[in-house]
Amino acid sequence: MTNLTRRTLMKAAAATGLAGALGGRMAFAADEPLGITLVVPSPIGDVGWGHALSASLEPIKAAYGDKVKVTVLENIMEGPDADRIMNKTVADGNKFLIAGSFGYQNGALQIARRNPDVTVLHASGFQIAPNFTPFAAKYFQGSYLLGMAAAAMSKTGKLGSVSAFAIPELITTINAFTLGAQAVKPDIEVSVVWVNSWFDPAKEQEAAKALIAQKCDVIFSNAQDTPSVISACEDAGVYSFNLNSSMKKYAEKTYLGCVATDWSPFFKASVEDHLAGTFKGRNAFLGVAEKVVQVVDWNPAIPADLMTKIKETEAKIADGSFSPFTGPITKADGTEGVAAGATMTDPEIVAMDWHVKGVTTPLPK
Amino acid sequence: MNAIEFILAGMLAAATPFLLAALGELVVERAGVLNLGVEGLMAVGAVIAFIIVYHGGGHFLGFIAAGFASAALSLIFALIALGFRANQVATGLAIGILGQGLSALFGKTYESLTVKGLPKIAIPGLSDLPVVGGLFAQDIVVWLSLLATLAIWATFAFTKTGLVIRAVGENPKAAHAIGYPVIGVRVAAVAFGGMMAGFAGAYASVIYTPLWADGMIAGRGWIAIALVVFGTWLTGRIFLGACLFGAVSLMSLAAQATGLDLPSQLLSSLPYLVTILVLGIISADRRLLKLNGVASLGEPFER
Repeated sequence: MTNLTRRTLMKAAAATGLAGALGGRMAFAADEPLGITLVVPSPIGDVGWGHALSASLEPIKAAYGDKVKVTVLENIMEGPDADRIMNKTVADGNKFLIAGSFGYQNGALQIARRNPDVTVLHASGFQIAPNFTPFAAKYFQGSYLLGMAAAAMSKTGKLGSVSAFAIPELITTINAFTLGAQAVKPDIEVSVVWVNSWFDPAKEQEAAKALIAQKCDVIFSNAQDTPSVISACEDAGVYSFNLNSSMKKYAEKTYLGCVATDWSPFFKASVEDHLAGTFKGRNAFLGVAEKVVQVVDWNPAIPADLMTKIKETEAKIADGSFSPFTGPITKADGTEGVAAGATMTDPEIVAMDWHVKGVTTPLPK
Repeated sequence: MNAIEFILAGMLAAATPFLLAALGELVVERAGVLNLGVEGLMAVGAVIAFIIVYHGGGHFLGFIAAGFASAALSLIFALIALGFRANQVATGLAIGILGQGLSALFGKTYESLTVKGLPKIAIPGLSDLPVVGGLFAQDIVVWLSLLATLAIWATFAFTKTGLVIRAVGENPKAAHAIGYPVIGVRVAAVAFGGMMAGFAGAYASVIYTPLWADGMIAGRGWIAIALVVFGTWLTGRIFLGACLFGAVSLMSLAAQATGLDLPSQLLSSLPYLVTILVLGIISADRRLLKLNGVASLGEPFER
């Protein structure tokens, strides 16, 4: 059994070497299917981050049929256990690894270095190697649009966000949400509760209730994988929205919309590059323009004239003529964040560690 | 509703999962057994109750089934730790891990589904009071768990059953010598503790946060065990600790929502700090601590 695996591995390695030497297309996929493995830290449900990633593999299965073999490993704790499991799946002959959490970075990078014939895609990291691409979504582009809608739906002028951890990715979504709301109602305020956990449904619900008690009447569920916040908001009759995948079925009346992610265009292009032997590691920071970020399930109660404006803004974001982070932007402490006319670059956005004016909760240091 | 009203209204419900599990563990430890599997027992109760409520069985049946399921799992603990006299710490940990695994297995197809919670029952008059009114509108399980607290306190304070459990925990040899079935009492206590943990899990998954997600107990079983120790095995102090923990966790969220300028990491750790501090201060008397502690805790009994 071991011999067989080793021989298969050597054959594949040789084939890739050959492909590299020829520098062109190599259809060794006809030999045996390309093994694609997705590793995610949480259990995969009908909604959430893991669901969005695994659902994005479906179009690849449909397009390539039996030329690919997709394995999904869920509920894998970050740390040594994840390293062991990722090494095992590569040793089993899988040549395409999608490491679906920031915490897998070091282990996945080692695998990429040791196995030049393996392609690794890694979620929300910063390390790059020739066969190692970090990927992240420009969620802030979508949360800006939902901020515009939230401002129109809010009666109290107070919005809220239940957020997991104060990391740049989540800070930017809150900032863009606030800026979008201010574009419609300039003096709107946003309160944030950091639950300091990626996964604690009970605490997330308590946090949502705490915000509702403070008269926030649109709540942004910022990076929760379960409908904890969304269903609490439906019960309380306040609007809510979330990231990654639609939770409309948990809040039929008060679901404002979803900043959905569809990774399939990116996954598909990467698989094609891998098969063609032209894969190059890069920083894949993808948004509305790449059709990775899409706002779906807009609430029909949003006024039609505002909806037209939102769609116009979305089109401008897609063609690059508008960015939520174009100055003048004032920081929450009153100092200048972005000068008038200047636009934050991608590296500046991924390192953002301050709140814009209008976010009333101080940022944890 | 301001922050104080929010905390008062939510405090008891937030405390209930801790309270139910800790009351169960209190009885177990009073009988001289240390069951560290509470987290897993809660997870099993949570998933069983969720499945039954999801399929329309109702909350009552869900709680009953959760109690039975967790009691059954705790009886496996009893068989290994009391029957075969294995190390209680190791057995408890193993049963806890088994419970979490089982809950993930049973709950696989129910991941991220939701159910409806229960309506609140208000005490007429009191619930209309300003500020504190919210305290008197709670769901039925909160009221029942307050009754359970009273009942367990009364059992240990006034009844022979309470004395027998304590005797078995303090000096099993003496209890055996005067004719009490030590193992029998301990097995019953473990089953009771399992049932209470099952109720606690059920409360978490079908009333407090009416959804199922693998890992949703998120360490609450461990906090319940800690409450028993920091509450020095006294019912009143455990109740106080659970309420305090619930109130301070809500306070830390409300403080952020109001925009208080304190780091959220500090606020998140506040429930632990305050509970340890308060219970530490009220049980600072070493002599009393020794008096309340269970002498044979965790020791296997041999005739």
